Amino acid sequence: MTENIQSVHNNIYKPAIMKIVGRHDEAPGVKTLKLEFQDPDDHEQFKNNFRTGMFGLYGVYGEGESTFCVASPETRKEYIECTFRQSGRVTSALADADIGDLITFRGPYGNRFPIENFQGKNLLFVSGGIALPPTRSVIWSCLDQREKFGKVTIVYGARTVADLVYKHELEEWQNRADVDLVLTVDPGGESPDWKNKVGFVPTVLEDIAPSPENCIAVICGPPIMIKFTLISLKKLGFEEQNVYTTLENRMKCGVGKCGRCNVGSVYVCKEGPVFTAAEVSCMPAADL
Amino acid sequence: MTRILFSDKLDNCVTRWQSAGFTVIGPVTKDAFSSYTAVEHASDFDLGIVLPDRSLKELFFPQTEPMLRYTLKQQSINTEDFTPPSGKKLIFGVRPCDAAGLSIDDPLFGWDYKDEYWFQRRNNSVIVTIACTKADDFCLCTSLKLAPDSTTGSDILLRPLENNNGWHAEELTDRGREALLAIEEFLQEGSEPTAPMAVVPEMFDLDTCVAWLQNPENFESKFWKDISMRCIGCGSCTYLCPTCHCFDIQDEGDTYSGIRRKNWDSCSFALFTMHTSGHNPRSTQSARWRQRIMHKFNYFPGKFSVNSCSGCGRCSRQCPVDMGITETLQKISTLHS
Repeated sequence: MTENIQSVHNNIYKPAIMKIVGRHDEAPGVKTLKLEFQDPDDHEQFKNNFRTGMFGLYGVYGEGESTFCVASPETRKEYIECTFRQSGRVTSALADADIGDLITFRGPYGNRFPIENFQGKNLLFVSGGIALPPTRSVIWSCLDQREKFGKVTIVYGARTVADLVYKHELEEWQNRADVDLVLTVDPGGESPDWKNKVGFVPTVLEDIAPSPENCIAVICGPPIMIKFTLISLKKLGFEEQNVYTTLENRMKCGVGKCGRCNVGSVYVCKEGPVFTAAEVSCMPAADL
Repeated sequence: MTRILFSDKLDNCVTRWQSAGFTVIGPVTKDAFSSYTAVEHASDFDLGIVLPDRSLKELFFPQTEPMLRYTLKQQSINTEDFTPPSGKKLIFGVRPCDAAGLSIDDPLFGWDYKDEYWFQRRNNSVIVTIACTKADDFCLCTSLKLAPDSTTGSDILLRPLENNNGWHAEELTDRGREALLAIEEFLQEGSEPTAPMAVVPEMFDLDTCVAWLQNPENFESKFWKDISMRCIGCGSCTYLCPTCHCFDIQDEGDTYSGIRRKNWDSCSFALFTMHTSGHNPRSTQSARWRQRIMHKFNYFPGKFSVNSCSGCGRCSRQCPVDMGITETLQKISTLHS
């Protein structure tokens, strides 16, 4: 026998209902959904709490929930954007969902990029493949208040030209005088008309050699890219406490109870997902 | 002067508690398997066993639990919350290690986000613990700085009388006082000699083990491979553990209607941490066994100032390949950190 005596907001596992108001193909298998809250209370809660870097659990009833970042910036809280690669059960259901369909969202959870501490500094964003979405949230959060920050450099790479996500925004950034965008694709991934760089992200980064002087680096990518990018940044003279990254691990609850997302003693869902390279280097590498 | 509950009055107490609205639960053996189960009469209890095969955890954190029901109709989603049964429970004959297990997990279910599924049950329950006069070779409470008569997590502690015909009753909380008040007429004032507590030898020096675990150099020690080589990853230790709390969330149903459930999960399983990409941070059984030990004696105490182990010994007692926390920590305590 069960009784319905609990008020909605006490059930920490109950998600908010979101309506899909936009849907965009980014790359083969990669989609962006634009979501609007259906319940004004849920929206208010999100507006009060969301800061760039936080994540959520996106779900389709009958399939389950998946964890990914909020790809939209903290300067635009009327909606949520999420970008994901269709690869499992939940992401397939999300990819199948159409404009007007309802999905679920739990969050925002976790910590954030402390962008107020980045003010007056140069910003270097380094990102690879499907990892641009979390970086993009920070990029727009800063570009929407552009005057507060110094030089903005974005290094973004993907396996092939087709795999680059947010192609329309890359074009916009390329055309902006106040943003330096460096695009690259892995050797063999270029198309005949590709005019940008060819090479792995860490190599390209060392080529353009951004100055570590008064600069914050935000890096996000697959584990192998992060590993070598950290080495390149060190070579360039970046100090570990000025390098930020965001980790992702499998999660079920998102709120520190289900017991799986820890790297060593650190719970990615509660103490992360945003960490400095100094913090990451204290984690046991074998658990990453 | 203390109060005594004589065994021959226990059935009156059970009836009284039931009429006061409690579901009375206690150790019951059925088909050679014991667990904390609801009873009708005191004669249903099996109070002679060292401890039940299954831990007390499942009464607060069931193996599978419905959280919400969803129904999709055209352009709307209706959800309805399930909540735990709101009835009061009195759990009699709990072992001190099981009672301690509950209080160990309280901070976990309460930090920042409060899990009402756990706390509603906690708030509706009275824990009547019987101190242990018997132990077996697997019991290790003393190694965890607990004891056969620990009061942690209990509302009432009963100490068996020497003649084995009743218990001294010690109230520990307001909830315990109320439960004793309900059976006041069956209690006798007086003092009788109590039976000696079970002797549980210390199996290892916990502080030595913790120091070794906290040393980052030991994270990749060969020790982990050696100790876990025979682990088959069945997850029994985690399911039987009174403090293991890891869970999965799964939907049972289809696109139109169904139930979202919280199910026990286990760090012993390869899928537990597997990313969609195929990358698995803990891809070997030794990494998973290391996680279990580290979590219990390094990470968890680091966050909540208490070890996530109350020394019941079930992990060793019922492991199909004869591993367990005891063996691992015993070996660690002999290593040089």
